[in-house]
Amino acid sequence: MSATTPIASDIARMQRASFLVAAVAGVLLLIGALVDFQRFLQAYLVGYLMWLGPTLGSLAIVMLHNMTGGKWGFAIRRLLEAGMRNVPLMAVLFLPLLLGVTQLYEWAHVEHDPIIEAKRAYLNVPFFALRALIFFAVWYGLSTAMLRLAEKYDRTLSIPALRKLKGYSGLGLVAYVMTMSFASFDWGMSLEPHWFSTIYGVHFVVGQVLSTLCLAIVAASRLKRVEPFSRWLERSHFHDLGNLLLAFVMLWAYISFSQFLIIWSGNLPEETPWYLNRLGFGWQTFAMILVLGHFAAPFVILLLRRSKRNARVLATLAMALFALRFVDYYWLLAPAFHHGEFHPSWMDAVAPIGVGALWMGMFLRNTRGRPLVSLQDSKLLQQLEEAPSAG
Amino acid sequence: MSQPTQQPPGSPPIIAPGHTISSVSDKITSIVLKRHTPRGWYVGFAISFALMMVMLGSIAKLLFEGVGVWGLNVPVGWGFAIINFVWWIGIGHAGTLISAILLLFRQEWRTSINRFAEAMTLFAVACAGVFPLLHVGRPWLAYWLLPYPNTMSLTPQFRSPLLWDVFAVSTYATVSLLFWYIGLVPDLASLRDRAKSRFFKTVYGIFALGWRGAATHWERYETAYLLLAGLATPLVISVHTVVSFDFAVSIIPGWHATIFPPYFVAGAIYSGFAMVMTLAIPLRKVYGLQDFITMRHLQNMAKVILATGLIVAYGYAMEVFFAWYSANPYERGMAWNRMTGPFAWSYWALMLCNVITPQFLWLKKVRNNVALLFLICLIVNVGMWLERFVIVVTSLSRDFLPSSWDTYAGTVWDWSLYVGTMGLFGTLLFLFIRFLPMISIFEMRTLVPHSKQKAPGEGEAS
Repeated sequence: MSATTPIASDIARMQRASFLVAAVAGVLLLIGALVDFQRFLQAYLVGYLMWLGPTLGSLAIVMLHNMTGGKWGFAIRRLLEAGMRNVPLMAVLFLPLLLGVTQLYEWAHVEHDPIIEAKRAYLNVPFFALRALIFFAVWYGLSTAMLRLAEKYDRTLSIPALRKLKGYSGLGLVAYVMTMSFASFDWGMSLEPHWFSTIYGVHFVVGQVLSTLCLAIVAASRLKRVEPFSRWLERSHFHDLGNLLLAFVMLWAYISFSQFLIIWSGNLPEETPWYLNRLGFGWQTFAMILVLGHFAAPFVILLLRRSKRNARVLATLAMALFALRFVDYYWLLAPAFHHGEFHPSWMDAVAPIGVGALWMGMFLRNTRGRPLVSLQDSKLLQQLEEAPSAG
Repeated sequence: MSQPTQQPPGSPPIIAPGHTISSVSDKITSIVLKRHTPRGWYVGFAISFALMMVMLGSIAKLLFEGVGVWGLNVPVGWGFAIINFVWWIGIGHAGTLISAILLLFRQEWRTSINRFAEAMTLFAVACAGVFPLLHVGRPWLAYWLLPYPNTMSLTPQFRSPLLWDVFAVSTYATVSLLFWYIGLVPDLASLRDRAKSRFFKTVYGIFALGWRGAATHWERYETAYLLLAGLATPLVISVHTVVSFDFAVSIIPGWHATIFPPYFVAGAIYSGFAMVMTLAIPLRKVYGLQDFITMRHLQNMAKVILATGLIVAYGYAMEVFFAWYSANPYERGMAWNRMTGPFAWSYWALMLCNVITPQFLWLKKVRNNVALLFLICLIVNVGMWLERFVIVVTSLSRDFLPSSWDTYAGTVWDWSLYVGTMGLFGTLLFLFIRFLPMISIFEMRTLVPHSKQKAPGEGEAS
């Protein structure tokens, strides 16, 4: 793919715009941090975790696809690989959180709390930092290993390379789910150190995959507008991706609802405050938006075959759903800081945009100089050889 | 080369080479119509039938004397009955999963195993149903569980997941039966056409509903089958979710955990696939069906078992971590009691069966060894029973008040009923393989093009 093709200049333009937005947001956030560092951290954590989603979600979906196969994966594979390459970026972006850990997390500065004292062996700053180091080491190791193995397989198309790719993907998924679960306990759940829920990690993992699918669908539908991709990306690719999106929307709702029902039904004073904080003081609006927009509406739309086979409709839905992913993270994390109130800050909006713009810019940079489609897809090779058919 | 990452070249095919449409039909129908019933069938049926008589005896004793003959006591009010109920219902789920979900995911390899996996579902649900029905104490009044207008001012408690169970399981049983039967109709017609005796011609003919294989028949059949698959998929998940709610909505330490719904569903699939393998491995050998239930099926099922086993292990890990992290003395006490208390043997046996054993399935060598696969599946079946034993008994026998702690052991009537339901299951299964095609004939015919494939070493599209 030479740099003169329209898609390449398109990408370069979007990349410049992304970095520009990131720079502006960065300056704003810097001012915000100087004015109120704690408030900045709170906004930044939500933005950070939101964009950690597509980074690690890409890794997860690539590993899943290595094991299951399926043509849906070939359609988005290169995009996911570009997303995976953002793991080092996310590691760097974690530094502000590490610096602000004592201000961000109650357990890091509160003393004489018997419940927190009982968890001190886990909830302490050095171990927190060590765990973060381990998480990023595992994710970086996994993403580079996956990229290398896939590249080797692409080059050789040999069976031992494929076996290796599949085997490492299986182990890698286990490592990802374990590390991400504990990362979610550290970075999200421990904001309210008295509260716990055994399904919290699963909720995060599912959310990350969902975020990634949304972005991948949007990106693939943009590709579809450009020659030669428009010939290669078929309706059935989007149909499969739509089904996968539907499955994860349902899984997200299933997990969220199960957790709610179990805690509501148990009605224990150590668990219910988490929901009470999130279902009052204005937060209930976000909860309703999630129920309707993050589950009910996409569920109905994605049940229809027509909307899954139409790339434009599906991409619009995915875009909206990705925006709602922010509401999910915000509703999940931010009420911990507001202690039974709701006082939003301008930084709550700027942080995810800033992190997102930087992420997007790096993501676009990662796609350059590399093929945007996977050569493992044999159908593609056939199509390239045969006469172009009507998309 | 066709889609390499889907199936590496050189892996076993989903149907052995050299089969034609008529050879497939002959091979499957002859088991029912022509071939001599193998001696093994008589032996297996006799054992199963004898065990079923044990079940009936145990039920008679229970009804005559009351639930006191079981080992239940005051803290442990749920013993074998709920353990066995959950065990059986979990086993049943693999059938629906294979038939419905793999159909929706267009996994062609499901074809040769779906029919008897569905039958397994029905029989397992029948066995599961025995336990709550008897546990209510007066099974002849079980219809009181249904919300019907009555003069007793009796309304069921809609907030209780036990009532949700009534709806979930009965709906599930109904849809599973319909799904299985609809799938059978074209094959019943094949049997009708091939049967020699007038009696069997009539019986199969009645159940074939006048199927002639017309294009409109097929069209409506496909629609109905797909709709039922779509209906069965949420049902299979909802049933085991509701089963997990039976425990999780309470506040008993070790039961009240938010991970329970997905962890129970994964456990159900895990045990169900293990049971499908436990049945498929001897069946394919006795009836010489290695051409249809190939190594590819066994390998794929082994992978599903490994994956779901890992999810279950994740559930165990989260339970232990959060018991500690909760900093709640009762939660911590529960975990400690499981590991070191009077039932510690069951906990460690569970870890051995359900967490360590399936790890061998990472190795391709093990996945290719039928005897080892069979052994692992048996161990997993035991492990999944132990899981429910650990959950039910350790949590109930020692809850909040040490003064009300007690121990628990199943009596001879508990065990005889449990073993007896295996007899019921076996009896139904043996009758099924004797009188109905255990592999879907017409769906296998659609795989015949795969059979034309060349020597191993070439990949196949899937």
